[in-house]
Order: sequence, then C-alpha cells, then structure tokens
Amino acid sequence: MSSSPPPSSAAASPSCPKKMIALRSSDGETFEIEEAAALQSKTLENMIDEDCAGTPIPLPNVTGKILAKVVEFCSKHAEPGVDDESLRAWDAEFVNVEQATVFDYILAANFLEIPTLLNLTCNVVADMIRGKTPDEIRKFFNIKSIFSPEEEEEVRRENHWAFE
Amino acid sequence: MEPDFVPTTSFVDFPEDVQLCILSFLTPPEIANFSCTSKRFVALCRSDAKLWHALCDRRWGSKTQIRKWGDGKICYRLLYKTLSEWESLIGFWRRSGQRSTSAAAAASAAPPPPPLVVFDWGPSFVAGSRVSPSQDGTYGVVKSPFLWMSLSPGGEPVNFVDPDGKGGEFGANYSVDSIGKTDLIPVDVNFMGCTHLVVEENMGLGGNSHRNGFRRSSSSANLCSDEEEASGGENGTFGSLPDRYMSEMYQHFANRTSPGGSSASRRQKKREKERQGKRRWEPEHFVKIVDCSPTPSRPLQGLWKGIGDCTKLEFYLVTYDEIGGIACRRVGEPADRFSGCAPVFWTSKATFIEPPFSQEEMIMYDSRMHLHPIDEENSMFGELPMENEPVTHILYINSSYDLLIPDLAGTTATDRHNEGRIWQYRDGTFGYGFLRDNFIIDLKHIAPNGCLLH
Repeated sequence: MSSSPPPSSAAASPSCPKKMIALRSSDGETFEIEEAAALQSKTLENMIDEDCAGTPIPLPNVTGKILAKVVEFCSKHAEPGVDDESLRAWDAEFVNVEQATVFDYILAANFLEIPTLLNLTCNVVADMIRGKTPDEIRKFFNIKSIFSPEEEEEVRRENHWAFE
Repeated sequence: MEPDFVPTTSFVDFPEDVQLCILSFLTPPEIANFSCTSKRFVALCRSDAKLWHALCDRRWGSKTQIRKWGDGKICYRLLYKTLSEWESLIGFWRRSGQRSTSAAAAASAAPPPPPLVVFDWGPSFVAGSRVSPSQDGTYGVVKSPFLWMSLSPGGEPVNFVDPDGKGGEFGANYSVDSIGKTDLIPVDVNFMGCTHLVVEENMGLGGNSHRNGFRRSSSSANLCSDEEEASGGENGTFGSLPDRYMSEMYQHFANRTSPGGSSASRRQKKREKERQGKRRWEPEHFVKIVDCSPTPSRPLQGLWKGIGDCTKLEFYLVTYDEIGGIACRRVGEPADRFSGCAPVFWTSKATFIEPPFSQEEMIMYDSRMHLHPIDEENSMFGELPMENEPVTHILYINSSYDLLIPDLAGTTATDRHNEGRIWQYRDGTFGYGFLRDNFIIDLKHIAPNGCLLH
C-alpha cells in the first residue's frame, strides 16, 4: 500500500525490535500488536499508512475482551512456519466458544476487514444453520417471521423446485 | 444445541454482506430452508447478483473467474447448477471404445488421438486437453487443448472441439461470438453417469453461430425470473440427457421387431443417417480415471510415466482391486482381464517386503540398469538419479495372467520369464523389472504435486 518500506521489516532478525502498533478498544483498553499481524486487517493496514505519530489507533466498535482475542488470532496467523494442519486445529479451538462471542468476532472481523477471521467465523454460523428446519432456524436466531401459513407453504413449494 | 439465552446480536442484525458471507458456505437445499424463515430472507436468497454470485465465488472463485462466465451476463443461479455438474469433469479421463468404422474415419489417415485427456478450469470455461508423452527424451508431457466448454449469456452450454489442436491455449481471444468464424466444431458433451462422457458433433448447429438451436430452449430463463414457474418435462435436471438421445438410445437397444417409433422419429433417424456422411468429427467416449494418485494405503495407485517397450515415454495406470491385488496397464489398453492384452505387471497380493532385504534380492537389484528418460527437473537441482535412490520396499509381481501351477511355481522357465519386482523408492516413486532381463523401468507420477507440466 505505502510506497516506502516500514522502518523495521517484519522479517527482521530476533535482535531487531519489531514494530508494534497500539490499538485502543471501545472501553479504553490498549493493546499492542506486531505490524505483520496488524496487516492481516485491511482496515488497520490503511490506518497504519496514515498514522505517523504512533498514537494508539482507536477502535470504537470493538470491546477490549474481543480485541484481545482478535490480536491473538492475527498474531497466530502471522507466525511463520506453522503448518496447515496445526493452524486449522488452532482455528477450531479459537472458535470453540459461546455463540455470542462468535457473533462478536464476526462483527469485529467485518469492521477490521480480516478475511481469514471472517471466513472462519461465518463458516461456524453456517454450521449452526446446516441441518435445521426453517422453524428451528427461526428459533435459534430469533428471527421474527410474518408469514402466514399459506405464504410460507408457497415459498416452500417454490424453493423446492428451484433448488432441487 | 439450544442457547439458554437469546444473544444480543443475532443473524438479522448482521450487515447484509456478512449475511451473504455466512450463506455462501451453504448448499442450495440448505439455502432453501433458510429462505423460508422470513420474507426478508426470501428476497435475499433469490438475489442472483448477491447470493448466487457469493455461492459461486465461494466454491469456484479460486479456480476460475466467476464474473467472466457467459460474457459476464449469465444468471449466477444457472452458473451454480452448471458448474456443480461440470466440476466432476476436472481431472484425468481416458478415451474408451473402438474408433468408429464409418467411411469418414477410415478415409482419414490420421493416427488415433492420444488416449489420455485432462480437464482443467479456464478463466471462463472448462478445457479438455489431450495429454501425450513428449518425444524429446525427457519425462515431459505435451498438453494439447482440444475441447472447450463454456456457457452463453443465456446459460446454454457452448461447446467446441478444435480438431487439429492448432488453437493452442484457449485464451481470452476465444469469445462466444468469434467461434463461428473459425474451424472449431460445435459439439454436445453428455454425461452418462458421473464417470462416462460422450462428446459428439452437434449436427444441428451447422457450424455457424445460430446457437439457439439447442434442445433446452426456454427452461433455463425461468430460473432467473422472479416468478418461479414449474418447468415442463424437458428440463429435468441439468446434465441429464436431452430427450432426443433418450429415445435414440432406447430405440437402439429395443427389440427390433417391436412396433417402431412414430413416423416423426423415423424421419429423424433418416435425417440423422444423411447427416452422418457430413460429419467432421467422430464421437468420442471418455471414462474417468477415478484414482489418479497414490495414497498412503495404496502407494502404487494412479497415473505414472516411464519408458515403454520402444524406449519412448509412455503412460501407465496402476489400479487396486477390492481383494488386495494390483494391476498396471498402459493407458489406452483395455482394462479387462480377458481382453487378450497382457498387463504390464500385476499381483494378486500387494504386500510389500520390508527391509532388511535378503542378499539375493539386493544382488538382483544392484545388478540392474535403470531405464529412465532424462529428468530435467531433478538434474537441474542436482538431485540424485534413481540409481542412488534407496529402495524402501520390494513387491513381487508378474507380467502375465497365464495360469500358475502351484507346485511348479518358481521352477519353470516361463515363471522366471514372467516373474518380476517392484522397487519402491524413498521419494514415493518406484521402478519395476522382470527376471528375464536386467533392467529397471523407473516411473514418475504423471502430475507430481498436481502439476502436469513442470
């Protein structure tokens, strides 16, 4: 994105300090994240380019609790030398949380534009939909339906043809 | 798993593109279920540009350019249905059946096309290419595209064959409109089950660009309209044979003395016979090669390449049967045990001998000469030629299906003639040879790491 390379590159040797980015959550907590990890977020990538003074980037849409986990996710995915299988296993553990938390991850991933996290969490929600009848889906997601029974039957019939 | 509480955020609260991202992981039947949940989602699930594009992109976005199909104007729901079917084409197929004995074929002096074919994704089409060994003394192969399958903006299949294979790569130059002006021959590609394909000239088109002469005329448009009408019997499921073929096949196999078909079908058959003489391209049948690659439990399985009888590169197919045996044939030779074609090698029991190997086996291996084409890739990186590659397993094989008399096994001259070994190397490749000579034919997988051309 930027034309000039950052002062210290992410591939620096261990003795060279890596550039850290400071983030501030909606509830005032500050977190530090390595630049390589932060670049997983398109939103942060844009902000890093514009930010010169090094003050913490405010993220009013993300609470501290969630931001901590997002930082953890991005850091893990920026780690070199992790093989696909163990990363997948780590991801599965990462989303093995309460539904409400998964939903919070989705909103954070959407706001911060982190495609890997968004895909991972959306797939989890897709799993929640899979195998359920429309009624079960409605109950699960608290979807208010204003179909009359006849309307619903009509939709069901139409869909049966369209999808099979 | 019911939650004990209603979450503060719910699916309905997500922005639409997040909802689409979630739905893009589902299959159409699951989407149908979901769309029944509320009026709002009915509309979302019917949105072609949004939802169906997301579904196509999720499944095939990494393999092909979704937005380029059908000149960018195609209905994505239709594209999803078609690509779901065409996806099973991707991979290796072999030509099957005898060459037609019609006058046209007999007259042409051209050698039969190579038996191995591979189907690949293109940016806005699926391409079938003939795969043949390169004759330059290396392990290299030559890939010649000959079949191009795409869709019109209306969603109709638009398939063409390039009979001489001079077209090279089907690049962006080939658009649906330019076809009529070249030597490409329009064809129908019909699936008969998932593993059998028939490609034959579409005589109804006559080589110019009147593409609306396909059998499926109006039904595809219905899928995109807001009114979802039930279609007539002609649609069936996409990919099923058009009715004309079904009636032809039935009449072919039906009892000849039974009452014939209607006069319309008799007229049609007569027209077909007349057209036969003007065919520019003979129909070809293809059978899918289902297990193309080795697995941990079947390390010899798949398509391999190595020196054949005439010191030219050839392709081999090794298959495992259900009772623990292995057979290897040259690709293109009939697989049936009673066809009279001897296998390259076979064994009824694929149990490997582990090291340490007996002195006798070591001597047998070390005294042999390795036959293999120049392996440019490895020699460029200074890797060990096969001669220095350690042998990890040995397998007893035979080169003939002739009956073995148990008491005399291993003693007669014929047995020694046919008996042989497979030597499996540490890198997963293997070589084979027979007691009757002093050679080892070293094979490499036809597409290591999924790359046919390297």
